[in-house]
Amino acid sequence: MSAFHFDGLVWHWPIAIYLFLAGLSAGAVFFGILLKHFKLGKKAYQSRFIQAAALIAPVTVCAGLGILVLDLTKPLDFWKILVFYNSTSVMSMGVLVLMVYQLMLFAWIGAIFCTPIVQWCEGRWGLVTRGLIKLQQWEDVITGVLLILSLSLGAYTGFLLSALIGFPLLNNPVLPVLFLVSGLTSGAAATLLVGVLLKGNPNGIEVRFIHGIEIPMILIEMAILFTFFAGLILSGGQSQVAAFNALGEGFWGWIFWGGVVGLGLTLPLAFNLWMKVSADRKFAYVAVTASFSLVGVLLLRNFILYTGQMTGT
Amino acid sequence: MDISKRHFLTGCGTLIAGISIYSVAKELAGSEAGASVDQTQTIKYAMVHDENLCIGCNACEQACRDVNNVPDGVSRVVINRTGPFGEYPDQSYRFSRKSCQHCEDAPCVKVCPTGAAYIDPDTGIVGVNQDKCVGCQYCIAACPYQVRFINPVTQTADKCDFCRETQLKQGKQPACVEACPTHALVFGNIRDPESELVKTLKSKPTYRAKTDLGTRPKLFHVPTIDGEIVL
Repeated sequence: MSAFHFDGLVWHWPIAIYLFLAGLSAGAVFFGILLKHFKLGKKAYQSRFIQAAALIAPVTVCAGLGILVLDLTKPLDFWKILVFYNSTSVMSMGVLVLMVYQLMLFAWIGAIFCTPIVQWCEGRWGLVTRGLIKLQQWEDVITGVLLILSLSLGAYTGFLLSALIGFPLLNNPVLPVLFLVSGLTSGAAATLLVGVLLKGNPNGIEVRFIHGIEIPMILIEMAILFTFFAGLILSGGQSQVAAFNALGEGFWGWIFWGGVVGLGLTLPLAFNLWMKVSADRKFAYVAVTASFSLVGVLLLRNFILYTGQMTGT
Repeated sequence: MDISKRHFLTGCGTLIAGISIYSVAKELAGSEAGASVDQTQTIKYAMVHDENLCIGCNACEQACRDVNNVPDGVSRVVINRTGPFGEYPDQSYRFSRKSCQHCEDAPCVKVCPTGAAYIDPDTGIVGVNQDKCVGCQYCIAACPYQVRFINPVTQTADKCDFCRETQLKQGKQPACVEACPTHALVFGNIRDPESELVKTLKSKPTYRAKTDLGTRPKLFHVPTIDGEIVL
């Protein structure tokens, strides 16, 4: 049995990348909203980190959906998912969430960047200006709905897999919470990384704010991962077999302990704590910490997807 | 605007909680109703595979392939062989049939985003509407019996349909049942007390696979008596 090809494997790495990108988009939006609401206020559009979030969120969610469509056996028939709905299907409900999410996302971006865009238009395209000002008036409502949708999207990536009753590692009530929290982490990391790449101040209030949330979030993620596998092992039977297959020696065991726990959680936690006590944050610190977090979450998605399908009931 | 935002968020939260509780409650009520036997349906097809009579000749698989035009490389029915058990010359094998179980509570139907996977209300057969299927493979991953596959010709999900489109339409038994030389397969209407299927179910001990998942499958197996006792 090789790590990437085995009996019973249905969903391959493109699905893991899609789950990663969807969670990342949700996380970037979540932190963008928090940053604007708690720290930046009206002048948020000037912040490199808000610009980063507004750039990352639509690009990743569209890229993720693109991958998902290409992974269908009949990619040209993808519109049927948008026409036919099934209320018992997690995927179908996820599509609904994704559609409204994208709509609200663009509305939100329009609302927060209203001032610079209207300035740039200089009175041209009156329709655009009027539309944006209308959006800005509704910003509070859009923000509230988008916040709920981003959390739903983050959790959906987990529910999609936990609905598979034949695989005990996936059919696990903790999985959606794990994917939600790790998705938010990846969104924060991507916002920081792109923000400093856009010449944002690595010692600014945005970075301090996000890092302040990141430390408890990494601790929570560790606790959820522990609960996830402890729960499987205590369940006995095939659940226990699945947990030991995943965590034991072999390719995916190394990925988990080295990649997910070591690179993705422990090192970013250590760096974050170090940056908290040291006087100031430098570009390299912020960028490296964020990159480690991102790689860790991407590995987690692949690890769960592949090891989940290794052991059936 | 601050107060209205707070009100709005509270409202949204309440609405979402309300909707989720409502849908869960509806689901529960529905599943309870579903668990009680629906007596109005006069036809519900099922199958028994007698593992003592099966000799593992694979005639069923070949007949199915011919009748339903199943391409090479994929299969709607597989007879899995385990063994040999015992010492030569007293050796024996065990055979188990792997094919769609036509669950009453089918996971594939639940997860299908477009409704391409469905349960035919007239026969209880789980079918695939090829026009609606987009090939997301969610059903393949959801099926705990792992009997679904992507048909390389149509690029849609495919599996056993008790020959609904071929043999049953002509008033015949499914191809595998007709092809079986030892009469190890019995097919019939579980609602008809006079059918051979019901008589077999009442005269022989049977089991169904993975019933603990709540799928309520309609493929019954008569367990092998021969062979080793495995703990």
